[in-house]
Amino acid sequence: MRIAIAGKGGTGKTTVAGTLARVLARGGREVLAIDADTNPNLASVLGIPGEQARDIVGLPRTLMERQTREDGTTKVVFAADPEAVLRDYGVTGPDGVRLMVMGRVGHGGAG
Amino acid sequence: MCSAHATVRGFLGEIVARAASDRHIIVDMEAGLEHLSRGTGRHVSRLVAVLEPYYRSMETARNVAALAGELGIDDVVVVANKVRDDGDRRAIADFCRAHGMRLVGEIPFDGALADVERSGQAPIDAAPDSRSVQAITALAGRLADEAPSG
Repeated sequence: MRIAIAGKGGTGKTTVAGTLARVLARGGREVLAIDADTNPNLASVLGIPGEQARDIVGLPRTLMERQTREDGTTKVVFAADPEAVLRDYGVTGPDGVRLMVMGRVGHGGAG
Repeated sequence: MCSAHATVRGFLGEIVARAASDRHIIVDMEAGLEHLSRGTGRHVSRLVAVLEPYYRSMETARNVAALAGELGIDDVVVVANKVRDDGDRRAIADFCRAHGMRLVGEIPFDGALADVERSGQAPIDAAPDSRSVQAITALAGRLADEAPSG
C-alpha cells in the first residue's frame, strides 16, 4: 500500500504516520516512511534518536536532470535509481522502518 | 518551478510508482499536498486525512480530500484524532457526512501522548499501552488494507 497522510499541522498526522509505520513493520512487512513535511519530525515518532536524525541528508538537486523534448523544449526529470537513493540517503530505525526525509531538500548546507 | 519541490516530486513519483508491491510506503505530507503531482497521485493508493474536532482542522481535511480527488486519488479516508467526548464525535460525523467524507476511525484524546511527544520519544516505545497508541494499532490493519475500508 502507498498511503499518504495529511492534515492541518498539530492534528497528530505525524503521530499517526509514524506509529502506523511501526505497527506495520512489526507485522512483518517492509515499510518505507517518507517525511515530506517541511517541518520534518517523523523521525522522533518512529523512535530514531535525535543524533541519528540530525545526520539524515536531504536529496541533492543534482538528482534531477534537464532533458530536451523532441520539440526542443526542456523538462526536468528525476534521473537517479530510486532504490539506490533510498539506500544512500535513507536511515533505518526501530523495527526496520526505513526513513527518507524530503523536507530538507534544497536546504542542505544551510544549517 | 522550485527545484527542491521538483526533486521531492520526482523522487516520490519514481518510488511510489516503482516500489515492490510487498512494501508499504507511508508518506507524511504537507496539508497542501505540494509534493504530489497529478502523476504521483495516481500511484498513491489511499490518502488518510487526519482531523481534530474543531472547525479549521476539519476544513483543512476537507480541502485535502478535494485536492486528493483532483490528483487522481480515489480512496480518501478520514481519521478523527484527539476525540474527547460524544460532542466531538458528533461534530466530526456531521461534518464528514455533510461533505461526503468517509470516516474510518477515531483516536481518543490522550494526555499521556503529549508528555511523550514533549520528550521526543516514539509513542509506541514510551507509551505502548496508551489509549492513542492502542487505537492507532487497532486502525493499522484497516488503513493498510488493500480493499477500501469503511
